[in-house]
Amino acid sequence: MTDDAIRTRGLTKRYGTFAAVDHVDLDVPAGTVFGLLGPNGAGKTTIIKLLTGLSDITEGEATVAGYDVRRDPMHVKKYVGWVAAEVILDDDLSAWENLWLQAQLQRLDDWKGRAETLLRYFDLTDRSRDKVSTFSTGMRKKLEIALALLHQPKVIFMDEPTIGLDPGTRQMLWELIQGVHREFGITVLLTTHYIEEADALCDNVAIIDHGKIVAFGTPDELKEKEKADVIEIETSRPVDEARLRAIPGVLEVRSQGRAWMIRVTSAEAVLPQVLDSVHEEGIRSINVQKPSLETVFLKLTGRRIGSDAGEAVDFRKFYAQMRRARS
Amino acid sequence: MSTENRYAGIPVVREGLTTASIPQGRQFVGLFYREILRTFRNPLVLVITFTQPFMWLAFFGSSFSAVPLSELDALLHTHVQSYLQFLIPGVLTTSMLTIGMFGSMSTIQDKRFGFMKRILITPTSKATVYLAKALGSTTRGIVGIPVMILAGLAFGVHYSGDPIMWAGWFLCLVLLGFGFSCMFLAVTASSTDWQTPGVISNFITMPLMFASGALFPSANFPAWMQTISAYNPVTYCALFGRNIVLTGQADWLYFGYVAIFAGAMVSIGTLVASRYLKVE
Repeated sequence: MTDDAIRTRGLTKRYGTFAAVDHVDLDVPAGTVFGLLGPNGAGKTTIIKLLTGLSDITEGEATVAGYDVRRDPMHVKKYVGWVAAEVILDDDLSAWENLWLQAQLQRLDDWKGRAETLLRYFDLTDRSRDKVSTFSTGMRKKLEIALALLHQPKVIFMDEPTIGLDPGTRQMLWELIQGVHREFGITVLLTTHYIEEADALCDNVAIIDHGKIVAFGTPDELKEKEKADVIEIETSRPVDEARLRAIPGVLEVRSQGRAWMIRVTSAEAVLPQVLDSVHEEGIRSINVQKPSLETVFLKLTGRRIGSDAGEAVDFRKFYAQMRRARS
Repeated sequence: MSTENRYAGIPVVREGLTTASIPQGRQFVGLFYREILRTFRNPLVLVITFTQPFMWLAFFGSSFSAVPLSELDALLHTHVQSYLQFLIPGVLTTSMLTIGMFGSMSTIQDKRFGFMKRILITPTSKATVYLAKALGSTTRGIVGIPVMILAGLAFGVHYSGDPIMWAGWFLCLVLLGFGFSCMFLAVTASSTDWQTPGVISNFITMPLMFASGALFPSANFPAWMQTISAYNPVTYCALFGRNIVLTGQADWLYFGYVAIFAGAMVSIGTLVASRYLKVE
C-alpha cells in the first residue's frame, strides 16, 4: 500500500498503433483533488477507463485505492466511484431504485440510511420515488454523485463533471464537489477542459495532450512557470512576422492561418508596438491573456484547450436527445 | 484517523465481502430485478403479452377450420380434436425462439446509453450481466405461456396429461427459451447496433421454426428438412408438449434433449460473453 490513492507508471493504452494514453505517470495523494486538464480527445476519459478497469491496459502499471488494476480489478471497483460526463442513470427507474440497484451491484448491507442521508444532502428526498426521466440535468447530476458515494469509495472519478451545464448549475456543482471532498474525505480525480474549473477545484493539475502529460503541478506552480502574457491577434491581411519578432519584449510568435499567438514579457508594454507593426485596419480581433493555465497550455502545445464555443449548445441538445430516446 | 470521523454524520455501510474473488449473487439479483421492473412497468408490454396468444389462436388456429377432422388427422399424422389442439404446443414452442431478442435489445440499449459502464464499474462480472439479461428475457417470454394455455381453454381445446407432465412441459419451454436467449445474447455480445437483434431474430427464427415439428408435422417435409428437424431442439420441445396435450403421454427423452441444449448454450454463452461482451 502506498499513500497515493492513484499511482501509475508508464500507463499506456494503444488502439492499433494509435496511443490514446502514452506512458503516463501519475501520483495522486490520498484526500486531494486532482485535475486532468486537456482538450477533447487528449486521452482523459481513456485514463479513467483504464484506472477503473473498464478498458484493458496495454502497457504499464496502475494502482488505485491500494489495489493493482491489472491483477485485481474487482477490488479496485469496490473502492471507486464514477460520475460520467454524460450523466448515466436508469431513466426508467426512480431515484431510490437507482440507489437500490447500486447497492446490489456494490453488495452493500444497511445501505438505506446512507442513501437517505445522501438524498437529503443533495436535496432530492422529495423526488426519490419519481422516475429519473422527470429530473432536470442538475438533479440527475446530483443523483449520479449520490450513486458514486453510496458505497463510500476511496477514490471518485469525475469525467468532465460540468460539461454542458449552465453557469448556475456549474457553480452549484463546483460547490458540491468541494463539499463532497471536504465532508467525505474522498480523493477526487476529475477531468476537464475548463481552465477555471481546474484552477478553482484542484490541488494538483496534470496537463495532458495527445495522451501525454506535458506539465504537472499545483495551479499556482504551473502559472508561476509561465510568467509571460499572451497576445492573440486575428487579421484579415498577412502580417510581417519578422517585424513582430524584432519588437523588444516579444518572446515567441506562432501563427495559425491568419491568427497569431505572441508571447510577450508584458502585454501592456508591448501591445502598442505590436499594433504598429500590423495593419490596424486589418485587425479582426485582439485578445490579451495574463498568465493562466490556458497560457501554460498555449505555450506547451501552441493550441488552446477549450476553444469550441458551440459545445455547450451541442451538449444540451445531446442531453435532450438522450432523454427523448430513453422515454 | 478513523473512517467514522471523516464521514461526518453519514452512516457507514458494512461491506458484504473481503475475499479475493467477489461473489456475484447480489449483483445478479439486482440486474435481473431491474430487467423485470423495466419490462413489466410498461403497460403496453403487459397488454400485448396478454392479448397476443388470443390473436394467434383466433387467426392462425382458424386457418384449417373448414377442413374436416378426418382429413386433418391425415394431414397432421395424428389424431386431433381440432387444429388448435395440435397447434398450441407448437406456437408456445416457437414463441420461445424469439425471446432472446428482448435481452439482446436491452443489452444494446445499455451499451448505447452507457449504462453498461455504470454496471461494469462495480464489482460485477460480464458473465453476471449476461446471465441476468438471459434470465430476464426468458422471464418476459414465459409469462405468455399460461395465458396461451388459458386462451386455448377459452377456444374449447381439450388438454390431456397430469400435473407432473404439465410441470415438465412448462420447464421444458423455460429451458428452450433460456437456451435460445443464451444463444442470442452470445451472438450479439459484441454488437452495439440497434438493428442487430431484429435481424438475428429473423435469421434464427425462420429456419428453426419451419424446420421443426412445431407448426406442421415433419412427416410431410422433404428429406433435408427432416434432417434439420431431427437435430432441432424446437422439434423436441414441441413434440414433448404435443404428446402430453394430445395423448397424455410424456416422452422424457425429448425433455432431456432440450435440457442438454439449454445447458450447452448457457455454458458456451457465458464463456463467449465474459470475453466478448462489449462495454460500449
